[in-house]
Amino acid sequence: MTKAHSIAAITMLAMAPLLIAPLGVQQLSDRAKQVGTKIKCMCRGCDMPASTCSHPGGAFSGMCDTAKAMLKEVDQQIAKGETDDQILQAFVKAYGTQVYTEPPKSGFSLVAWVLPSVYLFVGAGVVVFVISRWRKRPAPQVTPAGGTPGISAELLERARARASRETQD
Amino acid sequence: MDVFGSFALILAFVCAVYAFAGGIGAIVTGHPLLVKSTRQAGIATCCLIFLATFGLEYLFFSDNFANAYVVSHSNRDLATFYKIAALWSGQEGSLLFWSFLLSVYVFSVLITYRNKNGELMPYVGVVMAGVQIFFLTLNNFVASPFKALAVPGANGAMNLVARADGNGLTPLLQYPEMVIHPPNLYAGYTGFTIPFAFALGALLARYPGEKWIHLTRKWTMIAWMFQSMGILLGAHWAYAVLGWGGYWGWDPVENASLLPWLTGTAFLHSVMMQEKRGMMKVWNVWLVFTTFLLCILGTFLTRSGVVSSVHAFASSKIGSWFTSFLAIILLVCFAAYVKNRDYLKSENQLDAIVSRESSFLFNNLMLLVACVAVLSGTLFPVFSEWFTGNRISVGAPFFNKVNIPIGLLLLFLTGVGPLLAWRKTSTESLKRNFGLPLAIGIVGGAVAFALGFREFYSLVCLILCVFVASTIALEFYRGAKVIRARSGASLFTSAVDLTMRNTRRYGGYIVHMGMVLVFIGLAGAAFNRDTQKEMQLGSTMQIGPYTLVLQSADSRPERNYTAQRMIIEVMRDNKSLMMLYPEKRRFVTTVENGTMVAIYSTLKEDLYVVFAGQSPDTQLPVVHAYLNPLVKWIWLGGAVVVLGTLVALLPNRRAVLVLAGAQQPAGQPLAHGLPSSVTLRERHD
Repeated sequence: MTKAHSIAAITMLAMAPLLIAPLGVQQLSDRAKQVGTKIKCMCRGCDMPASTCSHPGGAFSGMCDTAKAMLKEVDQQIAKGETDDQILQAFVKAYGTQVYTEPPKSGFSLVAWVLPSVYLFVGAGVVVFVISRWRKRPAPQVTPAGGTPGISAELLERARARASRETQD
Repeated sequence: MDVFGSFALILAFVCAVYAFAGGIGAIVTGHPLLVKSTRQAGIATCCLIFLATFGLEYLFFSDNFANAYVVSHSNRDLATFYKIAALWSGQEGSLLFWSFLLSVYVFSVLITYRNKNGELMPYVGVVMAGVQIFFLTLNNFVASPFKALAVPGANGAMNLVARADGNGLTPLLQYPEMVIHPPNLYAGYTGFTIPFAFALGALLARYPGEKWIHLTRKWTMIAWMFQSMGILLGAHWAYAVLGWGGYWGWDPVENASLLPWLTGTAFLHSVMMQEKRGMMKVWNVWLVFTTFLLCILGTFLTRSGVVSSVHAFASSKIGSWFTSFLAIILLVCFAAYVKNRDYLKSENQLDAIVSRESSFLFNNLMLLVACVAVLSGTLFPVFSEWFTGNRISVGAPFFNKVNIPIGLLLLFLTGVGPLLAWRKTSTESLKRNFGLPLAIGIVGGAVAFALGFREFYSLVCLILCVFVASTIALEFYRGAKVIRARSGASLFTSAVDLTMRNTRRYGGYIVHMGMVLVFIGLAGAAFNRDTQKEMQLGSTMQIGPYTLVLQSADSRPERNYTAQRMIIEVMRDNKSLMMLYPEKRRFVTTVENGTMVAIYSTLKEDLYVVFAGQSPDTQLPVVHAYLNPLVKWIWLGGAVVVLGTLVALLPNRRAVLVLAGAQQPAGQPLAHGLPSSVTLRERHD
């Protein structure tokens, strides 16, 4: 039996005694609850982290047996001295990558984490490029027109309109 | 009435097609009669959609259980209030409701501008009719809400039937917010059609520069306001109804509503660059296009169930229709842009890096990064499945980690941007404007740290909130002081006067202040606590300073559900504070459950108590209590945002010189050398 199978089997077995001896949430260690925020309750009915599974709209809006069993399993793994990462990996082997509440920072999922920074850097690059291009653009030349010294009435009017636009918020 | 509704919808479709095709004809030929008749066809389309919608509501109110949609979403005992909301509780109805709200906007636009902007309006009319045709196609041929209930007979043929009662409305929707949250959100989604139609119309018509922006400014703000209200009401609904202690779960449907809000917010800011400086014309046009595309995408994600979600109430085959429509819009926008892009040439150059212009660019950058990050996060499970075959969950922890820093940067810009001058900001003015607010922010941060705000992001958020609030307050104070010096009125009256003279600017500041309050509320989330306990009568549980005592429990049958209620006394410092009544409701018709959270809300924190139901193991009632700091600030902030937007929608009141006779006491010197008959007074324009 592989480790993944044994985890699934243990989880199933762990659920059975729950019917007789209920496991209160309070009995779980803080570390188990912490790890439980990183794995999803796999009952397929709530889509919430195991630690905060609460089944809105269910007959009982609290932690379901699946989540309790998963957390108990976490506690048992902790007792065996496993690291958080080892525990998570065991759950991934049992349930697939869907068990994560957030994408893992490895493999293809790393793309999800990298993308926002890429957007920021590319976007900032574009902004800097645009600013530098705008800075290089020459200021509009105002040349005297017609017979009057200075500027034409049309230009003056345009300048007035622009000034009023720019000074008004 | 179902025949009436179907007929109205078919006629509406015909009218919309005429408004679209005739509109194109009117643009090509310029024939005035064609222009007029297509406008009237547009108005007729709207009126017919109104009739169809009222027709469907009539079916709900008359308990017509021969109609398949009414059977699926209502029952006789459903409260009248919720029979209105039943309209948008399912796929077919909400698509009709989309058409309805869109028609309200289209109708208003066609009436408002019936004798104005002659060259532009035919283009706008064609774009609006095009969007209406899409939704009317869905309403008529893909997801009609007027289908009669039919069951297969013995010979295999379908027989029409009428049921004695309906299946009832989903319990999750039987809450007051559900009657106002979807209309608000949909009014936001549909509202962005108007700026889109004007932007695309102006581009196609090569309509002069900033004019379309002036024309659509108010429409955009109205759509944005509804979108903001819709999002916050949705958050409040999730908080008060779902009973998990939170208000935002980064659910795909929530994300979908946030996306157009982010680009819409970016647009509201960047239009100022075009108005004041003639810059970013291409960008603005594409921002509007994107916002509209995201509105359609949002409707699609909500309605199609392509990304699984706890409240994607419907999933069906309308996906291909939406993807096709999105592709068509994108194609049309792109073609219009390629053909007429020379008309979008920008005018100005940038004088200095530290200027209002740059701050707008960074504001847009951050809003767009947030938008794209949320979008790609939401769609990542789908991509992951495509590329690797594994479906990955992208939940709240991911979105929080990614968006909190972006949100904080935006908050910072909210404080900095409005105080930078156009063109160039001197170091002197930077010192003058930011010195004091920065100092106040740091002091605020120190106080928060001393009070126990030890979480990094929350502390940064609080410092920024104090900083931004101070910059805004200082702006009001400086402006009001000038008016007070002249008018002699109180500082508050002067501040009101100041606001009314430049509603857009100071309304904008009020909106910013609202956002600050929302951020204060969000900062509290890091300190949420909760505890759960199986309770017997008389037993107690402790959370923070509160002791909860289960005093009693009862069960009361209501018309549509049976409520099991816990009667909990809240004690603080051994003194009775209040009673809370969390409920668990069991809906008779749907055999589903709902929670009714009891919340004791103060500015400092919310005591949030959920009766989770009977423990499946011991049959004892389980009470789940949460202590959520500062949540109330979010709802207050939302109200301030709406208030600010309403202020910004008001026309400016201008100070004008009025010559009027005034009493001048004998022997008094004349003020400022003015003749005795003249005084300075202000009047509304």
